[in-house]
Amino acid sequence: MLLRAQNVSRSFGALLALSGASLDVTEGEIVGLIGPNGAGKSTFFNCVAGDLTPTGGNILFNDVDVTRATPEAHAKLGIGRTFQVPATFVELSILENVMVGAFLRHPDRNDARAAALEVIEFTGLKAVASAPARTLGTPGRKRLEIARVLATQPKLLLLDEALAGLTPSEVQDAIALVRRIHAKGITIVIVEHIMEVILTLAQRVLVFNQGVTIATGTPREVVDNTAVIEAYLGRRHARNAGAHAP
Amino acid sequence: MFRFGIIVCAAFLLYPFFLPDDFYGRMAAEVLLAAIGASAWNILGGYAGQISVGHAVFFGIGAYAPLLIFTKFGLPPIVGVPVGILVSTAVTVVIGLPTFRLTGHYFSMATIAVAELIRLVISNWDYVGAATGLMGPAVARTWLDLSFRSPIPYYYIFLAVLACLLLLTWHLQRSRMGYYWRAIRAGERPARSLGVPVVRYKLYALLLSAGFTSVAGSLYSLMVGFIDPESGFGILKSVELIIIAALGGAGSLFGPLVGAMILVPLQTMTNSLYGGGGSGLTYIIYGGIIVLLARYEPGGLLDLWHRMMSRRAHRADVAAAKPHAS
Amino acid sequence: MTIIQVIASGLLLGAVYALFSSGLTLIWGMMNFINFAHGEFVLIGMYIAFLVVTYLNGGPLLFVGTAAVLLFGFGIVIYYGLIRHVMRGPILAQILSTFGLALLLRYLAFFIFKADFKTLPDTIFPGTVNIGGIFLGMPQLVAGGVALVITLGIHLLLKRTTIGSQLLAVSEDRQAAMLMGIRPDRMQAIAWGLSAATAGVAGALIATFYYISPTVGESLALTAFVVVAFGGFGSVPGALVAGLLIGVIQSLSAYLLGPIYKDIVVYAMFVALLWIRPTGLFGKAA
Ligand SMILES: Nc1ncnc2c1ncn2[C@@H]1O[C@H](COP(=O)(O)OP(=O)(O)O)[C@@H](O)[C@H]1O
Ligand SMILES: [Mg+2]
Repeated sequence: MLLRAQNVSRSFGALLALSGASLDVTEGEIVGLIGPNGAGKSTFFNCVAGDLTPTGGNILFNDVDVTRATPEAHAKLGIGRTFQVPATFVELSILENVMVGAFLRHPDRNDARAAALEVIEFTGLKAVASAPARTLGTPGRKRLEIARVLATQPKLLLLDEALAGLTPSEVQDAIALVRRIHAKGITIVIVEHIMEVILTLAQRVLVFNQGVTIATGTPREVVDNTAVIEAYLGRRHARNAGAHAP
Repeated sequence: MFRFGIIVCAAFLLYPFFLPDDFYGRMAAEVLLAAIGASAWNILGGYAGQISVGHAVFFGIGAYAPLLIFTKFGLPPIVGVPVGILVSTAVTVVIGLPTFRLTGHYFSMATIAVAELIRLVISNWDYVGAATGLMGPAVARTWLDLSFRSPIPYYYIFLAVLACLLLLTWHLQRSRMGYYWRAIRAGERPARSLGVPVVRYKLYALLLSAGFTSVAGSLYSLMVGFIDPESGFGILKSVELIIIAALGGAGSLFGPLVGAMILVPLQTMTNSLYGGGGSGLTYIIYGGIIVLLARYEPGGLLDLWHRMMSRRAHRADVAAAKPHAS
Repeated sequence: MTIIQVIASGLLLGAVYALFSSGLTLIWGMMNFINFAHGEFVLIGMYIAFLVVTYLNGGPLLFVGTAAVLLFGFGIVIYYGLIRHVMRGPILAQILSTFGLALLLRYLAFFIFKADFKTLPDTIFPGTVNIGGIFLGMPQLVAGGVALVITLGIHLLLKRTTIGSQLLAVSEDRQAAMLMGIRPDRMQAIAWGLSAATAGVAGALIATFYYISPTVGESLALTAFVVVAFGGFGSVPGALVAGLLIGVIQSLSAYLLGPIYKDIVVYAMFVALLWIRPTGLFGKAA
């Protein structure tokens, strides 16, 4: 088991944003994480990435207890994450952004640069590599967010709505990118609102609502689960599900 | 670019040979000294983005150490330079670490409070001369006292120190350290998510910054031969370091030097214009410059210059691309 | 008996601290922004009192009122002219903006009024009051009382009025406030006006019993930082309690240890607070 999160809880004052979420991820999987806004998905990611200390439960990564480890320790161990709102270093160039990630495994500047350029090529940012990152729009920043974390050579990648706000054709590009990342042997947990993305990418889906897991299964099973349709997807998806029905 | 660099280096090396009198030599030495202090601040405030308004603490420690070593033990003041660095480093670890748990405005506010506390303690501590301060050797006993009548030796000592500092900064800036600093400045949270040990790298920046600020303080008291709490630990000292760095460009290698080359002569001018009461005018000008900088050119003059240059290059490109346009 | 006397005058001074600190904490709570020129705003209030008394022969109502109105306007001008443009910029610009303003104002005062200490005639609030054997100066009593009332007034303004709830809405969530039809820019300008007005009134009140010189703003600003840090960032009631506490601690340390210790003790407490609970200082999560 690559990741084993057991009963993870997190409260903010009186608000229990996450109450006892569990997730096991085996190496090589793509797991989808869905749920309505405010369900606690980002909070869960923050706990798994060490950005927030859980108020309950524990998290093992490769059998090491990382529940209370710092974010930088998580990165070092191989847990990489993107932020839902891209946290681009706007004062740096795109290449420099990626180099910051690359320095984790390549202390030498030239090595880091070479590694960063490789990732930039891989993620399709080559044409703009030397441009200031502030010139990028949201889609570009989301891509840079992925490039930067890839440069840290993660074993497990947590993607938080990395495809939100993209046009349909950009979404297709991004799906292809996620596939290529997966093909490199990186295990992925992906939070995404667009059902199509989850259906095409994920092998297994977890549904959150109000801080608890309300369903798990294959994307198909989850989509057909009435609890899910009611609690999260509502009428809109009931319609879509009808369209998918044979 | 390379040729430009050679010319600038030569100008700095040969400048003293073209001096009409000691007045300009002294001013040039002061420019270099200010550049050392501001470049030292720049490591923490510019590159790592932690706006310390308490760097006078390190300047003061550096300035007091040589004169204290001299008055108490009769040793050559220069022995105090490493002592100052050591004490500054110790203070850094004791005070810097807890302060680093704060960020942004709150960090700056805390640095002011710490510096004011230390200034008050020094002003009331008889062992270090309380409000009167300390004096250096009246006449040089040996050349080791580094007490010269002419400003030229100071000029070359300062130039050498500044060159070392800038070389070191240049090297760090292009290595992992510099990238991590800039990442921390741009955002601690994403930096940590990429594996940057934020507190450790902030501490590195603070140690270097404090050490070199202390050296600047030592050089100051070696040249002036006198120090008191206000000129060593006063908040205006901290402000001076910041404004010089910010005017030229915080977070750029040569920003502090450029800032010093503008502000120090300006200060000399206003002081000589208005005599003793002129310092009031100096700080009105400082304040005005700071406000205007913050409002219009937060990147400093070098940043403005780069933007103007790239705009000109861009216009030239456009013109070259459309030869028939006119 | 003397010690009670000392505590009582500390409380009165503390009420004035609470008044101008509540202005500082209001801005911090709304915009995560520290106004480093806040002490100089107090200073302007002091000089306004001095000018009104000296040249217009005005009474306390006139000079306190003038200080309130002028500084309210000044705060709004500073917001629109400076703060609005830097508040989303780099952190260096944010800090330098009010820091530069502080220097500019302090040394303008120095340039105009010179370094000498000025005082208001002691006929404004003459005499002392004997409350059960404790003698309190009339100016201090008036200043402390008025400051207390105004601080509570600000607290009520925030909690009980429409404008107060709009101010709080902006500080809670700018975006949501905008959706509710509140204009954040305008609310923030009002906050700056209010904040500056508290400083101005406090300055005018302090001037009745304290010397006026260009550098007093600096130590007053530091006192306000400490009060705000102890009271919790953004909390007016916190500022009130902490202000009174700091006032008493200052008076006691001046009395028990000697005048020079009044600031040393307070700053040392602040540094100790940094040590013990640096994160616990925030009124709300960073
Ligand atoms: N730092 C925080 N402080 C207070 N409340 C928070 C914080 N982060 C998230 N929350 C709250 O926790 C709940 C879950 O949020 P989040 O994990 O971002 O949901 P999701 O990513 O599923 O949309 C929400 O009600 C949100 O308002
Ligand atoms: Mg989210």
